[in-house]
Amino acid sequence: MALAGRLAAAGERPPLPCPDPVNAAMIRNWTQALGDTGTWDDVAPPAMIQVWSMPGLVRRPDQKGAADQVLGMLDAAGYTGIVATNCDQTYDRCVKVGEQLSTRMRFGGVTGPKRTAMGEGYFVTWYQSWYDENDERVAEMLFRVLKFRPGKRPPAASTGGRYPLRPAVGKDTAFFWDGVNAGELRIQRCADCGTLRHPPGPMCPHCHSLNRDHVVASGRGVVHSYVVHHHPPVPGRTPPYAVAVVELEEGVRIVGNVNGCPPDQVRVGMPVRLVFERMDDELVLPQWTPADAPPPAPPSPPAATAVAEPASGGLEIELTPTFIISTAIATRDFMPVHHDPAQARAQGSKDIFVNILTSIGLVQRYALETVRDATPESIEVRLGAPAYAGDTLTLTGDRVDDRTLRVRGAVSLGDHLTATVRFKEAR
Amino acid sequence: MSLSGKAAIAGIGATEFSKESGRSELQLAAEACLAAIKDAGLTPSDVDGLVTYTADANSEIAVQRELGIPALRFFSRVDYGGGAACGTVAHAAMAVATGQANAVLCYRAFNERSGHRFGQAAPSGRVDATGLEFSWHLPFGFATPAAWVAMQARRYMHDYGATSEDFGRVAVAMRRHAATNPAAWFHGRPITLEEHQASRWIVDPLHLLDCCQESDGGVAVLVTSLDRARDLPNRPAVITAAAQGTGPDQMMMFGYYTGELSALPAMATVGDTLWAQSGLSPDDVQTAILYDHFTPFVLVQLEELGFCGRGQAKDYIKDGGIELGGRLPVNPNGGQLGEAYIHGMNGIAEAVRQVRGAAVNQVPDVRNVLVTAGTGVPTSGLVLSAPE
Repeated sequence: MALAGRLAAAGERPPLPCPDPVNAAMIRNWTQALGDTGTWDDVAPPAMIQVWSMPGLVRRPDQKGAADQVLGMLDAAGYTGIVATNCDQTYDRCVKVGEQLSTRMRFGGVTGPKRTAMGEGYFVTWYQSWYDENDERVAEMLFRVLKFRPGKRPPAASTGGRYPLRPAVGKDTAFFWDGVNAGELRIQRCADCGTLRHPPGPMCPHCHSLNRDHVVASGRGVVHSYVVHHHPPVPGRTPPYAVAVVELEEGVRIVGNVNGCPPDQVRVGMPVRLVFERMDDELVLPQWTPADAPPPAPPSPPAATAVAEPASGGLEIELTPTFIISTAIATRDFMPVHHDPAQARAQGSKDIFVNILTSIGLVQRYALETVRDATPESIEVRLGAPAYAGDTLTLTGDRVDDRTLRVRGAVSLGDHLTATVRFKEAR
Repeated sequence: MSLSGKAAIAGIGATEFSKESGRSELQLAAEACLAAIKDAGLTPSDVDGLVTYTADANSEIAVQRELGIPALRFFSRVDYGGGAACGTVAHAAMAVATGQANAVLCYRAFNERSGHRFGQAAPSGRVDATGLEFSWHLPFGFATPAAWVAMQARRYMHDYGATSEDFGRVAVAMRRHAATNPAAWFHGRPITLEEHQASRWIVDPLHLLDCCQESDGGVAVLVTSLDRARDLPNRPAVITAAAQGTGPDQMMMFGYYTGELSALPAMATVGDTLWAQSGLSPDDVQTAILYDHFTPFVLVQLEELGFCGRGQAKDYIKDGGIELGGRLPVNPNGGQLGEAYIHGMNGIAEAVRQVRGAAVNQVPDVRNVLVTAGTGVPTSGLVLSAPE
């Protein structure tokens, strides 16, 4: 794309002053809405950086995004869908109450077309930097979106379309699908002899008992075999995709898709972990993702073992409408999808959902509650499933080294985000 | 009492094999059945039994009406897709051996290419035993026979070091045989291993040329008692053994949950029964008709039936091992990869021709032919022999 090249070569656009100086009122709104109990005094939380340059409800005519032109071209070419995929912030220093910041945008690049789960699309990247009154940079952000062409067969995750490949559910199998809807992978167990069995059935083939209950799988398994489907077209699916027989650590096998890595990277013997994929308003499927996909699997999914506790402590956030709306407003994000359920549904979402500025703020909150007295140097967030109202966001973490924490934010649909937080070297 | 040697196939009949027959499935069934009756030197009024697949759209009474058969005394259906093929003959032989019927036609007729194609994804699941089985698989886009076989093939490759080229050698052999069979769809069109490797992915690890064709057509065989068959025009193909079988935790093509994916335990059950019933061993077979809807299961069948040890089929088939002139010519008609996909029924007809000594790709001195039916499903098998 010639335009993309021209935009990239143009470098940073002229600076725009942020609407308000760094101020205590906005910091207080932000910390209260996000539940952040840190002591900030006259220092602004680093993850608030983008809040200072948000336009507010009324956008000024001179506030144009660095990639607006490219996004418009892609719209015109039929790539009308958009979803944010990455938000990486690097903090040069903390900013203080009273500072007047300015911001500059720079177009990054465009790559594609690529085949994605959403459909064919282009990844568009831009950068935003913030400067102090001395024109010294205080922070920089990479932002990437996927502009995609909604497929003829809508992607499974999109609402509106009903996923066509539905399981038949009978008396003997309903407990399994109920479990999936409750975020559990249930394995039938004979209540008398204890034998586990999948797929389930009414009579224990070992002791012929009709008494059954179930255990909840840990969600850890290994690919026993797999295929990559290319042809013929399958309704509701976009080839190529991987299907695997997964051997669970409990000893039974189950079939599912391996998502989260290119299908040609699946291997026999590959450790995988359970994720739940929402196919439409009614159907959730138990699926698999490489166990070493970032972040590493948390010690144990909820309910797998009653005593399991995330090593670094988990942070559970009930996503009430109040939480979603107040955090959106506290981050000066007035997009209707974050406060107006009817508007959210009209745009194909299930409900209002958490905005990205809040997600990155929550990653910072979790990181600083986990690693005390540290200062973030950068936060890289990779975005996944939406965090809808009514859901629960559970943040768990894994210390990679002294200065690195990997964070996973899970909702019932799977990972809402995976993030890497780096801390500044301790003085 | 044993079924061995009580009954024989006295007649075979078929339509042409095509991609678009241009006529109803019932017409194909009636044409094939009438041809088998005539081949046996009988008339429709001599037939008093009909057996087909549960999957066949043509009911026994519909075929009876077309042929003008006055009355049926025996009719039955065999389930589980192509696994039914030899099972129809087993049922017919049991009926004849027990006096339930005198002459039984086994038939399979469909427009599998121009009508309902099995290779396409079927989206819905009913709440019955089969629907529930499919429900553990279909929702994941795991929806075609090629995919279901590929899952076992991948594990077989992993366990035994077999490669896609090993699978390709089966395709090359079948297409070589079909090339000299005028009835075969791929008559005159052999392939090379390089062409197999270059063919597009259907479901990795299966290439296009690992998958059998889709065909329109009908095939029927007529089973009667051996004593009666001796008086009919053609040399009888004696039913020396006939068996059906399943394995542990049997499913429809989803043998993933118990034991080894690299195996076909249902075929082991069938093989054990066939060898015990016939008193024969693999060394006594001059040619075999092995169900070849997808190439990998030809290798696994050779192992399950005792022609070679576990994991050794890749060596067994090297250097033309299953080609004409090889140690065990498999599917001299070109099989379903080369001749036509008539759900295994055309393979039974080829076995009869081999016993008669009347095949276009005739294997010398055929005394016993092994025939198998659909694999990955509950299956069946036959040993057909030249009369003493």
